[in-house]
Amino acid sequence: MTDGPDSRNGLTDERVVIIGGGPAGLTAAYELSRAGRKTIVLEKDDIVGGIARTVNYKGYRFDIGGHRFFTKVKAVEDLWEEVLGADFVERKRLSRIYYNKKFFYYPFKIMNAVFGLGIWNSFMIVVSYLKAQAFPDLPEETFDKWVSNRFGKRLYELFFKTYTEKVWGIPCTEISAEWAAQRIKGLSLLEAMKNALLKNRGRSREDVIKTLIDSFHYPRLGPGMMWEAIAQRITGDGSDLVMNADVCRLRVSGAKVESVTVRHGGGERDVRGSHFISSMPVRELIGAIYPPPPDEVVKAANDLKYRDFLTVSLIIDTPVLCPDNWIYIHDPGVRLGRIQNFKNWSEEMVPDPEKTCLGLEYFCFEGDGLWTMSDRDLIELGKKELGMIGLCDPSLVVDGTVVRMPKAYPVYDSTYRESLATIRGYLSGIDNLQLVGRNGMHKYNNQDHSMLTAMLAARNISGADYDLWRVNTDQEYHEEGEAGDYGLSEYEGLSSTQPRVPESVPRPIEQAIIKAFARLDKLAFALSVGTVSGLAVFMATIFLILKGGTEAYKYVGLLNQYFAGYTISIEGAFMGFGYSFFWGFIFGWLFAYMRNFLTGIFIFKIKRERELSSFKNFIDYI
Amino acid sequence: MTKQKTEEEKLLQAVALLNAKSMGLVFGILLGLLIFIATNWLLVKGPQPNSAGEYVVGPHLGLLSQFFIGYSVSFLGSVVGFIYGFALGTITGTFVGWLYNRIVMFRQR
Repeated sequence: MTDGPDSRNGLTDERVVIIGGGPAGLTAAYELSRAGRKTIVLEKDDIVGGIARTVNYKGYRFDIGGHRFFTKVKAVEDLWEEVLGADFVERKRLSRIYYNKKFFYYPFKIMNAVFGLGIWNSFMIVVSYLKAQAFPDLPEETFDKWVSNRFGKRLYELFFKTYTEKVWGIPCTEISAEWAAQRIKGLSLLEAMKNALLKNRGRSREDVIKTLIDSFHYPRLGPGMMWEAIAQRITGDGSDLVMNADVCRLRVSGAKVESVTVRHGGGERDVRGSHFISSMPVRELIGAIYPPPPDEVVKAANDLKYRDFLTVSLIIDTPVLCPDNWIYIHDPGVRLGRIQNFKNWSEEMVPDPEKTCLGLEYFCFEGDGLWTMSDRDLIELGKKELGMIGLCDPSLVVDGTVVRMPKAYPVYDSTYRESLATIRGYLSGIDNLQLVGRNGMHKYNNQDHSMLTAMLAARNISGADYDLWRVNTDQEYHEEGEAGDYGLSEYEGLSSTQPRVPESVPRPIEQAIIKAFARLDKLAFALSVGTVSGLAVFMATIFLILKGGTEAYKYVGLLNQYFAGYTISIEGAFMGFGYSFFWGFIFGWLFAYMRNFLTGIFIFKIKRERELSSFKNFIDYI
Repeated sequence: MTKQKTEEEKLLQAVALLNAKSMGLVFGILLGLLIFIATNWLLVKGPQPNSAGEYVVGPHLGLLSQFFIGYSVSFLGSVVGFIYGFALGTITGTFVGWLYNRIVMFRQR
């Protein structure tokens, strides 16, 4: 490994040290390289791309999890286009649920669901849905209740329970409802109302969602193609990329990281730098800091949990198996969670057109029974389960391999937020260290948001002051909005990530919506209308008394037909005030109630539409 | 939780404050127009017989003159009525809005 000459004579190396060669680390290196800064990227593995790598097995390429390329962040989209351009293919999305040896379209199609489940089952789903609407299971503290209350218990048990438990390895009764609400937040209510009121400036919301969800871009040789191309560019610009470099120590002095110690090629070396960007898992990062952080920080880091993942890639001797990009496996009888059909992502992923390559995805914990199973046993398990679900004859499988991906998903359990706050508090005291990416921030960032954190980190090194933790917090999930919303030349669309703005303020249109749909205070409105009505009758009566007897006496006096005992007199004036106040109060209360009721119906309708649109993408969010 | 949740909470929990001046203006215009149109409607309908068999125009609406000095069931009276109605409506609407806002603010303290 090369170490900077400056470091050898004790001076600070001006290079930026980047830990991790995944999307975040390489994007940071690329951005810094474009800004004329030299970097050194330290990748623990022997392949770049992190979880967005492409594995090549005998010419068969496969992706770890399936990475669609679409984003709302224009800066990210521009980078993709700049690096790969013509190497992207556009794919129509088809992802179905495979359950009980039948395919169910996802998002659901009514006739397909009815035929697949049978008339009786479908009827019971509707009954269960109606029951959930009429008698929701409250309080809504757990995931199972959250989903059942929205979609009915029967649909939850058929389509969501098994898959969610496979992915996260936790019973749905132990997953918090808050997690579900966060993960499946969909379009914000205000945004939905704005769309409903303004009709999305000529485009229907359905069109917008359809465009973004039904098709996507994909590099013709898999997502790793992107990261291999970026790696080539940064090394071409004079930066270093060191593979198999395991960062085992970060030496901190005062408020700065001075160097990192790397295990590489059987030895250890120190790498110095002026700035450090880390995409390594937070738990490992804290464990590597020297001198060790306070005990509570170490404990908080050790409390962070991850879900791991392995792919059994099988080569099958058939040209076409199914038209899907990927298939969700909901059968509770198999451990298999999802199947990727790589040929349908890009034909070039499979070198032999007579063959198909499937990626069988198993969610597990590092060290558990699945994780420690030998590759041969895993391939046999994959073949067996393919046969069990009836998707493919196991005898057609001609070859296979296994890729294990530790720490694929940061787990959002009941303690992670507090742990992360403790860690962030400690790390905020280290000036030249920034955390980026998914595991780097223990945040469920997708590829584009991981890249965005890296872009902003690079900008921060050049003097900007972005708060990386706000990425993917303020912005709605990218499938649910219009592409290109964040026109980021010079990142103006990211002003909301600026730490100078402590709390996001609704935009004028949103403020107007909040004002327009705010409820009337029924009691206040009733009191004010009652008071004014009462005063009107009181003053009219007094006026007539002062003015003297006229014909008006006769007619105004007729009020006693309604206000028993009312006369044109001082006592009558007070009595009129009382009666009129009473009726004004009733009228005002009813008016406010009806007005609130009608606006409530409108908001409920928008809210329900929003939930249904979330439902459309429910499993993706899990 | 997130901005989204905060905004949603804001929307669902917000209590409206009324713009008293606008409310006064709306009430004023409505009441003014009501009197103006009602008066002219009676003029268009023409004289109707009363209980004594005499043909008169708008005997009951004419009683407004007891409160609105100078008002009569005539075109000029309809303009005068509009002005009175506008003034009364404005005062009433503004007062309802003002009082409502005071009560809401008091209840939110």
